[in-house]
Amino acid sequence: MDTFNFSSSDFNAVLITLKLALTTCFFLALIGTPLAYFLAFKSKRVKPFLESIVTLPLVLPPTVIGFYLIVFFSPDTALGKFFILLTGEQLIFSFYGLVLASIIYSLPFWVQPLQSSLEKIGYDTLKTSESLGASKFDTFINVIVPLSKKGFLTSFIISFAHTMGEFGIVLMVGGGIHGKTKVIAISIYDHVEQLSFGKAHFLAGGMLILSFIILLTLFYSNKRSMVKVK
Amino acid sequence: MTSLFVKITGYVGDFFLDFEHEFNTSGITVLYGRNGSGKSTIISVLSGFINHLETKIVLNDKSIENTKIFPPHKRPFGTMFQNPILFEHMSVNQNLDYPIKRNKFLDQTLLSKEELIHYLELGSMLNRYPQNLSGGEKLRVALARTILKQSDYLLLDEPMSDLDIKTKARLLNFLKMINKKFKIPILYVSHSIEEISQIADEIILMKNGKKIISGSVVKILNSNSFQKLIGKFESSSVLEGTLIKTNQIMNMTTLDVNGQTLIVPGKPGLMDKIVRVRIRSRDIIVSPVKINTHITENELEGIITKIYTEKDTAFSELVIKLMKSKIKKTSQTLRARITTYNLNKMKIAENKKVFIYISSVSIDRQAYQY
Repeated sequence: MDTFNFSSSDFNAVLITLKLALTTCFFLALIGTPLAYFLAFKSKRVKPFLESIVTLPLVLPPTVIGFYLIVFFSPDTALGKFFILLTGEQLIFSFYGLVLASIIYSLPFWVQPLQSSLEKIGYDTLKTSESLGASKFDTFINVIVPLSKKGFLTSFIISFAHTMGEFGIVLMVGGGIHGKTKVIAISIYDHVEQLSFGKAHFLAGGMLILSFIILLTLFYSNKRSMVKVK
Repeated sequence: MTSLFVKITGYVGDFFLDFEHEFNTSGITVLYGRNGSGKSTIISVLSGFINHLETKIVLNDKSIENTKIFPPHKRPFGTMFQNPILFEHMSVNQNLDYPIKRNKFLDQTLLSKEELIHYLELGSMLNRYPQNLSGGEKLRVALARTILKQSDYLLLDEPMSDLDIKTKARLLNFLKMINKKFKIPILYVSHSIEEISQIADEIILMKNGKKIISGSVVKILNSNSFQKLIGKFESSSVLEGTLIKTNQIMNMTTLDVNGQTLIVPGKPGLMDKIVRVRIRSRDIIVSPVKINTHITENELEGIITKIYTEKDTAFSELVIKLMKSKIKKTSQTLRARITTYNLNKMKIAENKKVFIYISSVSIDRQAYQY
């Protein structure tokens, strides 16, 4: 029986996981924010349709998403071909394949908290700002962002945590390749399969503590901002 | 001098809006109508937030209806929406600076921020945040902020529906002052008769998305369309009088209404040379003979021009031209509501002279006093 230890491959998995979560959040900010804005203020007729699509990853089994992503990322598709042309690599089993998959399955975790925070600000606030001479962009930067700080923070933390924790899709799309697409969740699974419980403890415990700290930060900051409003 | 022409046609939800008006160029125009008559839609179209209707807006000979060329933030209107919103993350001072910072053509010689802070008594709350302000305080800040945009035309959508009478009267006087002193024309949406009889220079009457009638306050408030709109119980007349004297001790004011005197309680605002009072039709006593007692403060004379007897109620409505002698050309109209029973007993008929008794108590004080 091995003792608690931390191999270099585990260290790599931690790095890959953090890199994946941060990259995904970066792209989510770019894609998910306008989407949340659109859902909160602009869409009327298409709203139920769009909301259903965005929420889909939340209800589908990870294997279903994983399956379709494998089909979609294969070198035979336009996207797969395009990626090979661009990088000389296959999209599937690559880090960027993982990023793309993570963006898709974490999208509801970015959009929903932000959307509800924007809806709370309300369209009337936007109208007020614009009628006082501020353009839409000006309004977004100087009114919406400051008023929805909490929404952005929640979106970031939940998306980050969720991306770090996803297992099924990451395994299917990434294949758990050492030093490339093997994230913490897969490392733990491997350790358990090999009955190296000590190594598994080390990573699993780390995830547990980290997740708890993340949630604590989130709820603490929520509580503080609620007190401030009162 | 500002000129504004507006024409809007099209469906909003399930009702058809059909509006056209050449706006009063300097005074306060009130858009009056029930909820759902299309008033707020007009404000939204003018400020550029509704763009699916067929619209023509010409301000100072310039067409500005295209929302691509004139999106909301480039519109020359200063709009205050119903339930005005302050930016919660900014102090009162920062809220006031918001439109100032965004105006490239700010004219410092026009109404300054300091002046507005003074007029609206905002000095003590500049560093406070909206969460800690009362409804009335928020409204004053929002009003100041809208005015500080220095727009060509102010659009105010039922701004005072939630205020108490005193604050309301003060703010209405403030708006009149702003309008006159700084020559900012105002479009004021309201469904309060008291508000409009005090503030309006011109009234546009709206019903089911259509303009029914427009014109001077006295003309509209005494029109049949208006009486129909507000219902028999609220039936009333508006009289205009010039101020003769104020009795400071008794707190009464004497007005001249085309050669006859009308005594009303309280003191009018400083800006008023012409005072408007609203008198409900059911508060008027009519007599064919002179009653020689001080039964009421006011005794007026007039000629009955029309009698409407309602078949299914107990009442009759008299339209009376106020005149002492037939020589006087200008005269104002008063509506009185009495029972048909009494009408028959008094043997009053059209074209007959009557004496009118009005107790000052029943004259709408809100209409001019603070």
